[in-house]
Amino acid sequence: MLSAGFVHFAEYELQIIALAWLAVMYAIKAYQLSRLSMPWEKAPGKGSSLSGVLRSYAAIFMPWSMESTHRHLWRWVEFGAYHVGAAIAILTTFTMPFAPGIMTGPVRLAFAILIAPAVLLSLVKLARRLTRPELRLISTPDDYFALVSVGVYFVAAMPALLLYTPLARVVYFIITAAFLFYVPFSKISHYVYFLFAGIITGSRYGWRGVRPQVSRAV
Amino acid sequence: MTVELAMKELEKKYNRLSGTAASNLCAHCGWCAEACHVYQATHDPAVTPVAKAEKVRRVYKKSHDWMSKVFPFWTGAKSLTDEELKRWVEMAFRDCTLCERCVVNCPMGVETPQLIAAARAALTAAGMAPELLVQLADMAISREENADLFRDFFLEQVKEMEKELQAHLKNPDARIPVGQEGARILYVPLSGAHTILPPAIIFNTAGESWTMSMFEASNYGVFLGDTARAKHIAERLINEAKRLKVQEIVLAECGHAYSTMRWEAPKWFGGPLPFRVRSILEVLDDYVRTGRLKLDASRNREPVTYHDSCNLGRKGGLFEEPRRVLQAAAKDFREMTPNRAQSLCCGGGAGLVAIPEWAEARIQAGKPKADQIRKTGASVVVTSCDNCRHQLTEINEHYNLGVKVTSLAEMTVQALVPAADEKRVTVQV
Repeated sequence: MLSAGFVHFAEYELQIIALAWLAVMYAIKAYQLSRLSMPWEKAPGKGSSLSGVLRSYAAIFMPWSMESTHRHLWRWVEFGAYHVGAAIAILTTFTMPFAPGIMTGPVRLAFAILIAPAVLLSLVKLARRLTRPELRLISTPDDYFALVSVGVYFVAAMPALLLYTPLARVVYFIITAAFLFYVPFSKISHYVYFLFAGIITGSRYGWRGVRPQVSRAV
Repeated sequence: MTVELAMKELEKKYNRLSGTAASNLCAHCGWCAEACHVYQATHDPAVTPVAKAEKVRRVYKKSHDWMSKVFPFWTGAKSLTDEELKRWVEMAFRDCTLCERCVVNCPMGVETPQLIAAARAALTAAGMAPELLVQLADMAISREENADLFRDFFLEQVKEMEKELQAHLKNPDARIPVGQEGARILYVPLSGAHTILPPAIIFNTAGESWTMSMFEASNYGVFLGDTARAKHIAERLINEAKRLKVQEIVLAECGHAYSTMRWEAPKWFGGPLPFRVRSILEVLDDYVRTGRLKLDASRNREPVTYHDSCNLGRKGGLFEEPRRVLQAAAKDFREMTPNRAQSLCCGGGAGLVAIPEWAEARIQAGKPKADQIRKTGASVVVTSCDNCRHQLTEINEHYNLGVKVTSLAEMTVQALVPAADEKRVTVQV
């Protein structure tokens, strides 16, 4: 039998500590990156850096804009479903402790339905990484561990949402906390660097009139 | 010692661009694989962009990534060794043309070419870069240092070309001025009459105030990832333009010369250059749009397609300019698929075309482009990069494409309406 105090600790204090850890680690990483020199564009531009940055962030939502997505639309759908699952699982860690009022039965069911494909896709991704030569070649223990741990995280979200028992929730929140402690050291943190890459790559392409394309220099 | 020199250079190249590319930004999803023409042609897992980048990334991670410093086996991080450096030579100079197609197809925007360029710089610093590229870069530098030795010979050659120009235009006053102070444009050619005569015809027909540079537009320092050499080579043109007090530099149809002088050089010299830098593509587009040149598309009736050079397009932003000119200069213009920012590299970029010992691999890597050309049914392929032109000419022969490879300036000259005929033709742009 879990004490109410422990459940509260797992859902609140532990999460806050883990999130604070994550924030500090990311702040350090951001600081380290910002200290590096940056060869910003210095020639008169053909387009707009801001448009380029926005276009860069938007690219992933525009499967027609990249050959890698429009030629493999199913892969893009998988990518979307997996990341929607991740977003909902993360959202759950906030709504459960901080907005329990909205976690009604139907909402929890809807959340579980959105996470379920991500559970299956974790297995698909793992199988693909193990069998495709071009992926196996570049894969490290971190890649496999990241896939498995995210998969476990998704799996743990299911009973927490569907059963909603103290035990299921505590297990989910302990896994979440462990996950948050590990993420800054793993490739799972790619989403943070994505914010930097969007600015760096997007501003260059935008300034040069490559993406979005500018028809003529003014 | 070799490894130390390479590491020192790698660290010098570690900036926010390469640092981001070397970070955990790359999720190892492998989506970039099919974007690479080398992988498309070989299906070798070792030549996917991520596999190539990973070689450099793991070395960077060893010294910059927290986890990799403590548990290198966990992320695959490793120290640079002589053996690894040897493996980098082909990876950096043969298997990647820095075309950036992987970047525009990466959902995360990983700038893999930044890492490959850093590897090139490290190899150059370690004395392991392809010798021919180093020699070509050094020759360009020595041409400036010994300009007096070259001048007379060069001027003699230009005089010969001038005779051809006058015969072509039937105008004894047509000129190819060299080093003329106060001209509006300083045109920078490449070696070879095909980058001098057609532009000279165009400038003379348009009544342009121009002069030609003593130097060539190409910059092999860029291919070496060697900023010092590249800067030195670029500086020759900057000094010449300043000395001649021109308003703009116009570069010959050369991809890397354009991306270097237009976009990179201002970064090296700390700000915008004191004159405008354009490609001749942009000038041609202006001439045609404003009616300074009259073109008759019926003079080019064969189906024509255009190959986007990676440096002019994906790195330079010049997509529509050549197309507008071609639509005015040719009756049947056909697009390759994909094109523009998604255009496939010809397989010969970033100096690869100059290295004879890798010709076989280069021709193999040109197969996707050859297939693309064949599908258009075109009999003329226009490209505005001399490297691409060389490569396309070779893949044309190797894969029996039966096309003619030419430049935009040459196509334009072919469509040019002589002054006496001008009234008959209306150009729609």
